[in-house]
Amino acid sequence: MVSKKITVKNKYGIHARPARLIVETAVKFQSDIFLLKNNDEINAKSIMGILMLEASKGTDLVIKCNGEDESAALQQMAQVFETIAQLKEWEEA
Amino acid sequence: MGQTESEIRLYGIAASPGVAIGAVLVIGTEMLKVEKKTIPAKAVSAELDKFDTALAKSMSDVEKIYDMAAVTHGEEAAQIFNVHKAMLSDPMLVEETRKIIKNDKTNADYAFSFVMDKYITILQGFQDELFKARAVDVQDLKRRVIRYIRGESQRQLARIGAPVVIFATELTPSDTVQLEKSNILGFATDYGARTSHATILARSIGVPAVVGLNSAAKVMRDGITVILDGDEGLCVINPSKKSLALYKKRYDAYISLEKRLESIKALPARTLDGKDLALASNIEFPEEADHIRELHGDGIGLFRTEYLYLAGPTEPTEEQQLNDYKHIAEQVGGKPVIIRTFDLGGDKPPVSLSLPVEDNPFLGVRGVRLYRDSGHELFRTQIRAIVRASIFGDVRIMFPMIACVSEVHYCKNVVKEIQAELDQEGIPFKENIPIGAMIEVPSAAATADIIAKECDFLSIGTNDLIQYTTAVDRGNKNLDYLYQPYNPAVLRLIHQTIKKGHQQGTWVGMCGEMASDPLMTMVLIGMGLDEFSVSPVSHLLIKQIIRLVDFHACERSAETALDFSSTDQVQTYLKNLCYENFPDLLRS
Repeated sequence: MVSKKITVKNKYGIHARPARLIVETAVKFQSDIFLLKNNDEINAKSIMGILMLEASKGTDLVIKCNGEDESAALQQMAQVFETIAQLKEWEEA
Repeated sequence: MGQTESEIRLYGIAASPGVAIGAVLVIGTEMLKVEKKTIPAKAVSAELDKFDTALAKSMSDVEKIYDMAAVTHGEEAAQIFNVHKAMLSDPMLVEETRKIIKNDKTNADYAFSFVMDKYITILQGFQDELFKARAVDVQDLKRRVIRYIRGESQRQLARIGAPVVIFATELTPSDTVQLEKSNILGFATDYGARTSHATILARSIGVPAVVGLNSAAKVMRDGITVILDGDEGLCVINPSKKSLALYKKRYDAYISLEKRLESIKALPARTLDGKDLALASNIEFPEEADHIRELHGDGIGLFRTEYLYLAGPTEPTEEQQLNDYKHIAEQVGGKPVIIRTFDLGGDKPPVSLSLPVEDNPFLGVRGVRLYRDSGHELFRTQIRAIVRASIFGDVRIMFPMIACVSEVHYCKNVVKEIQAELDQEGIPFKENIPIGAMIEVPSAAATADIIAKECDFLSIGTNDLIQYTTAVDRGNKNLDYLYQPYNPAVLRLIHQTIKKGHQQGTWVGMCGEMASDPLMTMVLIGMGLDEFSVSPVSHLLIKQIIRLVDFHACERSAETALDFSSTDQVQTYLKNLCYENFPDLLRS
C-alpha cells in the first residue's frame, strides 16, 4: 500500500470535470484507489464518492493505492491533481 | 385563453433581458412516482437485467446528447455530459442498487430511486453552491434511468411545434440542450439564479428569462398566455387587454431595435461626417472575451482584474494570470487589451492580505495607493504577468486611482524593473508596452496634462469621479441630487481632462458607466473623447448612436451642455437632444 498527501488547488474544487478526470485516471488501474478526507474514505473510481467529499479549494486529501500497479497508480493520480490545478477557471465546470 | 380569469403578476429575478409574449409550455414538473413493490425471488434476475438495460440505454442517450450539445452549444458546455457518463458507470451507484434489488427483493426503479435520492439529499445539503448544483445532474439521470426501467419513453423536448414560453420548476442540463432554440420565446423557472442552466441558455440564444418565481410552474398550464419581462423580472399571467397592448408595443420596439442593431454589427463606429471613434468593451472575467470579437469593436478598453484576488485565500500566481491574459489577448485577435491593475482597498481587500480597517475606505489606501507597501508584491507579480502577456497581442497596462503624477512614476519604475528582470532571465516580452492612467480623482483631472505627459493614454472612470467631485458616497440614497453624471462640475472635469490629454498628444478614453449612457454619447463625442469603452450589452446601441450623428453637431451640443448651471438643466437638455436625434433608440 502506498499513499501521498495532496491539497486541492483549483478554484472551484473537485466538483464536475475535475471529479471526472480523477475517475478516468483511477479506472485505468487494477489497484484499489481511495481518497481520504479527514476520516472519510471513498473509492476514487466512483464519481459520486468523490462528490460526497465536497473537496473545495484548499482541502487536504490523501491518495491511497493498494494492488499490483500501486506505485504507477499513485504517481498518475498525483499527476491528475496537478493537471486539475492547471485547468482554466471556465474549464472546470 | 382564460379571458374570464384575471391578470396575475409574479415577480422573480431578471435573468436575461427582453420581452416575450406567448403561450406557455410547462416542462419538467411531471411527478415521477416510485412505489416500492416486493418481487418474487425468481424475478430478481429479470429485475437486475432491466436495470442493466436501462443503464445501457441511458448511457447511449447521454453520448448522443453530448455529441449534439458539442455542436449546438460548444465543447465546453457539453462537458457536463461527460460527468453524466461517469455517473452512469459509477460502481457505487450500480452496486448499491443491485444490492437492494437482491436483498430486499424490490423493483429496480424503487431501488435506483432510493439510492439516487440519498445522494441528492446529501448534495443539496452542501454549503458550496457548485457541489449543491450537481444535485440537478443526479436528478436528471435518475429520471432518465427510471423511465427506461419502466419501459416508458423519454421526454422529447426537441419537438416543440410552435413558439412557446417555457415554464419549469427547474431545467436540467439535458432539458436545456435538447430544446429546439428556434421555437423558444423565453424561460421562466421557479428555482434558479443568474448562474443556472436556464439563465445561461437564455442569454446564449438571446431570449428573456425570469427565474426564482417560487411556485409559478405548479399553477401554470400549457397554452395560457403570458408576458415575460426579462428587464424587470416580471411575469404577467393571463394579461389584461391593456397589459397586452402595452407590452406588444414594447415588444415590437424591442425587436425592431435588436434587428437594427444586429445589422450594424460589422460596420465601423464612424460619425456621419466620417470621424472614426474607438469603441471597446469592459469585461470582468477572461471568458467574457470569447464573444468580444463578434462585436467588431476595438478590443478591451477595461479588463478589471479584481476577480483574481477575491476568489480565495491564495494569491493568484504569475502563471495563472499569464494564462488568463494570454487567453484574452488571443481571443480579441490583435486588438488592444487594456488590463487595469487591481483596484482593491479597505472596503474590498484582497483576500490574501489583512489590511487595517479604515474609517473612510474610499478615501483610504485603495487602488494604486496599495502598491507602495502591503500590496507591493501582489503588484509586482501582476506586472510580471502582464508584461509577459505582451507577446500574445496588443496588451496595455492601466493604473487605477491615480491622484498625482508621482504615483505614475512609481508604477512606471516597477514596470521598468520588471522588464529588466525578465530580460536577465531571458523571458520574452514586448518592449514599449503602452501605459495609461485612470482619471477618476479630481486632482488627477485638474492635472491631466501633467499626468498625460507620462502616459500613452488616459481613461476616465466616471463613477469614482462623480463620487469624489461631489463628495458623495455613491451608496448614499439621501444625496441622489448630488451624485449625478449630469452635474456641471463633472462635465467640466471630463472636458478639461480630454483637452489636457490632447494638448500633450495623448488620447483619452472613458471606461466608466457614462460611456454606456446613450444620453451622453453626443456630448462626449463633441468634447473630443477618442475611445468609448462600454459594457458588451450596450456596445451596438452606442455604435448606432455614433453612426447617426454629425461630429460638428456634437461639438455644438457639448458647448451648449457645458454652459448650463444646474444638473437638471443639463439633463433636460440631453433628453431633448436625444429625442430629436434618435428617439427610437431610447428604451425608457
